[in-house]
Amino acid sequence: MNAVIEARGLSKVFHTTVRRPGLGGALRSLVSPERVAKVAVRDVDFRVGKGELLALLGPNGAGKSTTIKMLTGILTPTSGEALVAGVVPHRDRERNAHNIGAVFGQRTQLWWDLPARESFAILRDIYGVPEDRYRERIDEFDGLLELSEFWDTRVRHLSLGQRVRCDLAASLLHDPPVVFLDEPTIGMDVVVKEQVRRFLRHQVEERERTVLLTTHDMTEVARLAERVVLINHGRIVLDGPLQEIRRRFGGTWQIRATLADPADVQEIERQEQLVGGDGPDGSPGPDGSPGVGGSHSPGGPHGGQRDLSSLPGFAGIGVQRREGPRVVFGPVGDGAPSVHEALKVVIGRFQVTDLALEENDLEDVMRSAYLSDVPGQKHSSSSSAAVTSASQGG
Amino acid sequence: MTMTTPSTGGGSAASVRGVRAARVVWRITKLNFKARLEYRGEFLMGVAIGAIWQVSIIVFASVLLTRFPGLGGWSSSDVLLIASMRMLAHGLYVLFLGRIQYMNVLVQEGIVDPCLIRPMPVYRQVQLAFFPVNAIGDLVVAVGLFAAALQRSSLDWTAGRIAYVVAGVLGGMLVEAALFTALAAAAFHFPATSYWCQWLEELMGTFGSYPLSILPKAASAAFTFVVPLAFIAYFPAGVLTGHGGDMGVPRALAVAAPFIGLVAFVLSRLLWNWSLSRYTGVNG
Repeated sequence: MNAVIEARGLSKVFHTTVRRPGLGGALRSLVSPERVAKVAVRDVDFRVGKGELLALLGPNGAGKSTTIKMLTGILTPTSGEALVAGVVPHRDRERNAHNIGAVFGQRTQLWWDLPARESFAILRDIYGVPEDRYRERIDEFDGLLELSEFWDTRVRHLSLGQRVRCDLAASLLHDPPVVFLDEPTIGMDVVVKEQVRRFLRHQVEERERTVLLTTHDMTEVARLAERVVLINHGRIVLDGPLQEIRRRFGGTWQIRATLADPADVQEIERQEQLVGGDGPDGSPGPDGSPGVGGSHSPGGPHGGQRDLSSLPGFAGIGVQRREGPRVVFGPVGDGAPSVHEALKVVIGRFQVTDLALEENDLEDVMRSAYLSDVPGQKHSSSSSAAVTSASQGG
Repeated sequence: MTMTTPSTGGGSAASVRGVRAARVVWRITKLNFKARLEYRGEFLMGVAIGAIWQVSIIVFASVLLTRFPGLGGWSSSDVLLIASMRMLAHGLYVLFLGRIQYMNVLVQEGIVDPCLIRPMPVYRQVQLAFFPVNAIGDLVVAVGLFAAALQRSSLDWTAGRIAYVVAGVLGGMLVEAALFTALAAAAFHFPATSYWCQWLEELMGTFGSYPLSILPKAASAAFTFVVPLAFIAYFPAGVLTGHGGDMGVPRALAVAAPFIGLVAFVLSRLLWNWSLSRYTGVNG
């Protein structure tokens, strides 16, 4: 892969003073401040290729923004190296500026007291964009983001969603090959969010821009990102496709079906007896609950799970619970199919009168991923232990 | 898709870049000015406060000058030259470089972060953050006072003297800019510098307009070497009015005031750049 964005061992340490409690403590801190080093980002390595969209995910304070600030040249890394479009950002800021566009959703880069359109004109001048190209791009962005409805309003009076759309357009006026977006859909309604996602997809697919995005919106991740980097406590926890996160942090599903044909029920009973030694007992699931939650082991041996792999097409599908004709199917083992594939198999093989699907949604997956601690952190709670074992199981 | 590399070339390329940069600055300034005009009341109040601020300094000075025939051997017209040169230098500073005084606010509002990812020097972008409406009031009063000072002055205004008074005013502007730029270098890391800025401005308004020779030795030395406001108007005006030898410093140092202003500004800019390179941002 020809990397356009490259982070090599990137680390950032901030030095702050510890506040001691109470007035006495505050006075003591004034005389002899206790300085501590806070590691915001530690040894971050990743590469993003041309025309790729990468989502940088992680809980608040994980180090996402610090990473973006180092890659844009706003912050100088404490150690390690960043390379963006062949330029070391903090060392060659002005050259880097021509290669990148950036949107920080929480803060605008537009002139607060000017209409957005005049901010665009200022940026055209600063970047030296030729007039004809400028008009072309403005027309394109207006077509995609419907900016002309409000671009004559002073930025101060724009809604957050309108303002960020203007920021997006502003960041791309100089046609940068690399774009950094820190929470670009913050404060947008669903319709505008969808519009912005289309816009971003257009930028990646049609314009071949390399995009690095942070967001807390999981729908966005599911719609846009082919690849995610999960960062927590300043370190990379995972770098891979979205399915990888699902697999490691509990991407489980259930298909609840009521079978119409008694012969099918008997067939399942027979399969259960065939592989009867697999589970500790033949009763319903361990807690009787729907079983969809972050703490479930997605692939590993599961209490009560009956493997149906001897049925044609049922590899990786098992029965989690059964009460008469009501059967709950779930994934088994590493090669388990997705919920959609499994659904096809189930309704292809059985006659079904009633059907319900439950998929562990991405939010649940991310919750367990965020709660999972990296080794060496002092507060390794019980939830992290559960997830660690889950990831080993999967 | 463009991956730009900086254009390299000789002097002509540099001058083309310079002209382009100046045009960009002019355009942004026009837009900023327009933006301030949109708020009519605020605009007028901004102009008024600039004027009133300076007029109140003039009122105090004229009371002082009419009560006493002169100050420490300086005739009232000589003192008027100091006051008017300082006011003019201050007005020009506010107009061209005064935004640096709001550095702490700009840092906290997160204006600095986007400046770092645009292809323009950050210092210049800070200066282009908004248009200083109050500079209009400052300058109107300053020009009036300066005209009055020239009218009352008995000096023979040769080309050399005119050149020196221009250099003196520009040097004064740079001294003031240097002081505030040095404070702004600290503002990257300590927001409390705003109080220091207020104090400094107060100090310059109070002591900058009078012959420092009337002050105790220690005080005038402090205003020469610690907070060097003597270089803003006192030294150049003294050189012009023939007080070169009795200002408590070697005459050459007083004469060099405009040049020292330039050097101080360059040094403060280096300090500011160094501080910028250690900027750690807001919101971590």
